Amino acid sequence: MNIALEYKKIKRTGIIPGCLAGGLLAVLIPVLELTVRSEQYIGLMQPPLQTIFQADWQMMSMLNMLIVITAACMMYHTEYADNAIQRVTTLPVKEEGVYFLKALLLSGMCAVILAMEMISVSMCTLHWFGGEDGAFTAYYGGPLHEACLELIQDLLWNLGYCFCMLLPVIFLSLLIASACRNMWISLGVDVVCVFMATMIPVKYFALAIFPFAMPFQISEGAGTGQTVRFLAAGLIEVLVIGAAEILFLRVRRSLA
Amino acid sequence: MNFLSLLAVEWKKLRRSRILLILGTAAVMLWIPSVLNADLNFGMQAEGISPEHNFLIQGFMGMAWFMFPASMVVGTVLLAQTERTNHGILRMLALPVSTGKLCLAKYMILLGLAAIQILMMTGMYYISAAIASQMQEYEFLLPPLFVFAQAGKLYVSSLPMIAFFWMLSVCIQTPIFSVGIGLASIVPSVLMINTKAWFLYPMDYPFYVITAEYGELASNLSETEIELFPWIVAAVVSTGICLAVSCLCFGKNERK
Repeated sequence: MNIALEYKKIKRTGIIPGCLAGGLLAVLIPVLELTVRSEQYIGLMQPPLQTIFQADWQMMSMLNMLIVITAACMMYHTEYADNAIQRVTTLPVKEEGVYFLKALLLSGMCAVILAMEMISVSMCTLHWFGGEDGAFTAYYGGPLHEACLELIQDLLWNLGYCFCMLLPVIFLSLLIASACRNMWISLGVDVVCVFMATMIPVKYFALAIFPFAMPFQISEGAGTGQTVRFLAAGLIEVLVIGAAEILFLRVRRSLA
Repeated sequence: MNFLSLLAVEWKKLRRSRILLILGTAAVMLWIPSVLNADLNFGMQAEGISPEHNFLIQGFMGMAWFMFPASMVVGTVLLAQTERTNHGILRMLALPVSTGKLCLAKYMILLGLAAIQILMMTGMYYISAAIASQMQEYEFLLPPLFVFAQAGKLYVSSLPMIAFFWMLSVCIQTPIFSVGIGLASIVPSVLMINTKAWFLYPMDYPFYVITAEYGELASNLSETEIELFPWIVAAVVSTGICLAVSCLCFGKNERK
């Protein structure tokens, strides 16, 4: 059982073009926002990335999450739809292996989407804040190539951070999808969870580590302590959810 | 078969779907944060809105912005998938019933689900407002006539949106695209209600109506007058087109 097989399963479901299309939509958000309301942001003397993230990440991460939950539901829907899962369970492979391969595949797609978004953010930074007295020069300073290198470093860090924040959602939505035979139940549960996450007040750390609320976190302007705490929480959540999935599949199999 | 018995048949199909459980959970989840943060309602004097009105409108806004549209997308998945799995739809199409009627019956069922969800939400409003009144020792309950008028407005304004989602699920066979487009189209409604062309985007009607109501109740906010003229025309035309297209497309793929 390998990842190529999992890829083959989703090849004709349209998940990959769907994800890319969703990613493109997310890419357009900062571009549109800055085109329409640039005068609100250009005067701000704070790191340009922070400006963009604070203005747009809420919506972008919401889109990312919606992409993840739909893709997760679809990935298991292909298994359940014509009882294909029964064939998988009769093969000499572990069911949780399928789950982890799906998680790996979905994470890969998310990494691509996030990379697209980061490229868009960097383009916006250079276009709107890159002028003579823009925030880009004020913040990064120095010769152009060094400033660009620094920008790329920051972007990579943000990419990694956002990716880690998205991982719990990937694992949890796949867990929900694998638990429910009917797609609308898993989709409904996911949608309720996303909705809950939008209602959570950010000031409580204990509530903010709800897996579906994690992607709203940004590292820009958050302070190292908080960033590390959220990274640790994300890691623990992934481990716990993975363990829960293994346990769940074992129990379901023994009861079936 | 006349239309009423078709409706009864369609409703029976949903008996074991547990969709009402999901809708109910959403309604409960909606009001929990409002009850916990009920004291925040007293800090809204700057906008000039009374605490009890604020309590109601904030909850309805949360509903109209994401939860209600997203539940409707889940509902379309439910209606489409219950029949596509195991090819139940083939049996329905073999009956001497016009496909258009069948399609409209399903749309009516979706409207029924929407009505149930709004009623649940209104019921939960009364329970949570009573709890909040007890906790804060302040009367949060509003007269039923006013509350039901708001709920009714929300419902009527969502009809074009539901027709659009229904068209998506009928015309697009791959669920990932119908669900993905549906969910993704909810996110930009925040942007669209602020533009002059808001009436061209059916997905923002419910949110727009509630936001306008908020402006009306808050004496210090600028009032947004709902202009009925282009809106009603646009709404009727878009609903008509969506329903016509879905009736034409219904069952096309299966009959090939």
